[in-house]
Amino acid sequence: MFDYVSLQNLTLAYGKTIVVGGLNLDIAKGELITLLGPSGCGKTTTMRAIAGLLRPKSGTIHLDGTNVTRVPPSKREVGLVFQSYALFPHLNVFENVAFGLRLRQERGLDHKVMEGLDTVGLTDFADRATNDLSGGQQQRVSLARSLVMKPKVLLLDEPLSNLDARLRLEMRSELQRVQKDTGVTMIFVTHDQSEALALADRIVLMRDGEIEQIGSPEELYNAPVSGFAADFMGFETILPDDGNSGKGLAWRPGAVQIGAGPHHGKVRGASFAGERWEYVLSSPLGDIKANLPIGGPRYQIGQTVDFDLPRDAAVSLERVT
Amino acid sequence: MTSRLPTWLILGLTLTFLIGPFLIIIAAALSAGNNLAFPPQGLSVKWFIKVFEVDSFRASFGVSMFLAIFGTVVALILGVPAAYAMTRYKVPGAEFVKLIVSSPIIVPGIIVGLALLRYFVIPLGVGIGPALFLAHTALVLPYAVRVVSASMDNLRVDMEEAALLLGCTRFGAFRRIVLPNIRSGILAAFILGFVTSFNQVPVSLFLSGPGLRTLPIDMIAYMEINYDPSVAALSALLAFMSISIIFAAERFIGLSRYV
Repeated sequence: MFDYVSLQNLTLAYGKTIVVGGLNLDIAKGELITLLGPSGCGKTTTMRAIAGLLRPKSGTIHLDGTNVTRVPPSKREVGLVFQSYALFPHLNVFENVAFGLRLRQERGLDHKVMEGLDTVGLTDFADRATNDLSGGQQQRVSLARSLVMKPKVLLLDEPLSNLDARLRLEMRSELQRVQKDTGVTMIFVTHDQSEALALADRIVLMRDGEIEQIGSPEELYNAPVSGFAADFMGFETILPDDGNSGKGLAWRPGAVQIGAGPHHGKVRGASFAGERWEYVLSSPLGDIKANLPIGGPRYQIGQTVDFDLPRDAAVSLERVT
Repeated sequence: MTSRLPTWLILGLTLTFLIGPFLIIIAAALSAGNNLAFPPQGLSVKWFIKVFEVDSFRASFGVSMFLAIFGTVVALILGVPAAYAMTRYKVPGAEFVKLIVSSPIIVPGIIVGLALLRYFVIPLGVGIGPALFLAHTALVLPYAVRVVSASMDNLRVDMEEAALLLGCTRFGAFRRIVLPNIRSGILAAFILGFVTSFNQVPVSLFLSGPGLRTLPIDMIAYMEINYDPSVAALSALLAFMSISIIFAAERFIGLSRYV
C-alpha cells in the first residue's frame, strides 16, 4: 500500500518554463513526507499540482486509487496550509474553521468546529478576529480549517518559516502530534534541512525539478548520494574521489583533523560556538571548514597549519556534484 | 516668529481661496433681497424654501440622482469584474484596456460631450436619455476600475486558493472571499462615482434637451433667466450634501485610503 498518493511521470511548467520534469513519487497512507530543496527546485510547484492549483503539462496524479489529474481543487479532498496562513480576514476564527463544512452543509457543525479548534488548542479563541491572533495562532487556525475537512492529504507549504525560532520548535512537535492523532497523510514542503530531518518519515530531496534522493532522515543524513545532497545535509568539504570516476568524498566539519596530516592550509577564520571552535582554512583544496572541541590546541588567524581529511571518516558519494 | 509669517500667509490665502467661494455662496443664499449679491441684503431663509418650490429643480434633481445612482451601479457591475481580471490574470493588453477605461477622465468633457452628440446621438438616432446614461456610466467607470483595483491589490491570491481547496468554485471564492473583502473599496468607488456624476457639467451640457436636464445644467438655465439667490441656496445645499457624503465615507471606511 505504497501508493495512496501516486505521481507518475509528472511534468509541470509555468508557461514554457519547465519547472518539474518527469517526476515519479509514491506516498503511503498516513506517511509524513517532506519535499526538501532549495528555492526554485520545484517543491512548491509539485505541491500546488497535488492540490490542483496547477494543471500538469503531462503525467498523472492518483489519490486513493483515483486519477485526480483533471479534478478541480474544490473536489480533490486535499487540504493546504499556506505559508501566509491565508485566513479569511472578514470571518472570525470559528467561521474560518467552519468555512468548508458550511459549504458541504455538514451536520453537527458546531461540534466539529470546536473539535477542530480543540485539536490545535484554540477553543478559547473561537470568537476572536483573525487579525488579533499571533502568527503561531493564525497558523493553528489554518491547520484546524484544513483538518476539519478530513482531507485525504494535508499539504503544508513552509508552514514554519514565518514563525520565530522558539515557536517553530513548538509548532514542529505540534504538527507531529496532530499527525499522530489524526493519522492524516502529510506532505510538508520546506527548504530547512533540520525541519525535514526532525519531522519526516521520508525525505524527498529535490534539485532542479527532479528527485535527487529519497530516503529516511537517517539515510539522507548518513548516506547522501551526491555532492548536492551532502551539501544540503551539512557536509562542508566535498572533494572528487581519486581518478575520473565522478564519485566523491564528503566530510562534516567535525571529521576534519587539524595539527597533522598531508595537507596545508592557512587559518582564515576562527569563531567560538560554545561547545566547539569553528575554523575556516584556505587551502589548495579550497576552503575547508573544521570544528575542534574546546580544550584542545588553539590556532590563530593567519597561522599555517597541517590538516588531514581521514578517509575512514569520509562518506563516499556516487556523484561528486 | 517673523520667519513663520510668509508660511501662515500662504496657508491663509490658500484656505481663503478654497473655502471663500463656499462661504460667499452661503452668505448670498441667506440674503433677503431679490438679486444674487454679496454682501447679502438682510437675512432670510426664503430662498432655501424657494428651491423646493421650483418644479424644474425637482425634476432635474431626480434626473441627476437617477444618473448618479444607476450610472455608478452599472459602472461598478462592469468595473469590478474588469478590475478583478486585470489584477488576477495576465490579461493580454491589460495596460491598453486600463488606458481606454481611463480615457473619459483624460479627454476633456467638452470633447466627449460634443463627440457623443455629433457621432452617436445624431447619426444613430439614439435618444438623449440613453446617451446621457451611457455617458455618465462611462465617466464613472475609470473610478470604479481604479479604486476597486487598488483594494484588490491588497488581497492575497492564496485566500482564494484556500477557499477553492475548501470546496468553493472559482465564482464562489470570488463571492464569498473577494467581494466581502473589497466591500469598502466598492463603497468608496460608488461615492466617488456618485459625486463625479452628480457634479458633471460639460458632457451633460451637450446631452440635455427640453424635458431632460441634469441639475447643474438646469441651474445654469435658471440663472440665465432668474438672477435670484435661489441658485446660491441650491448650490449651498448640494455642497452640504457632497460634504456630508464625503465626511461619512471618510469616517466609516477611510475614503482617503482609496483616492
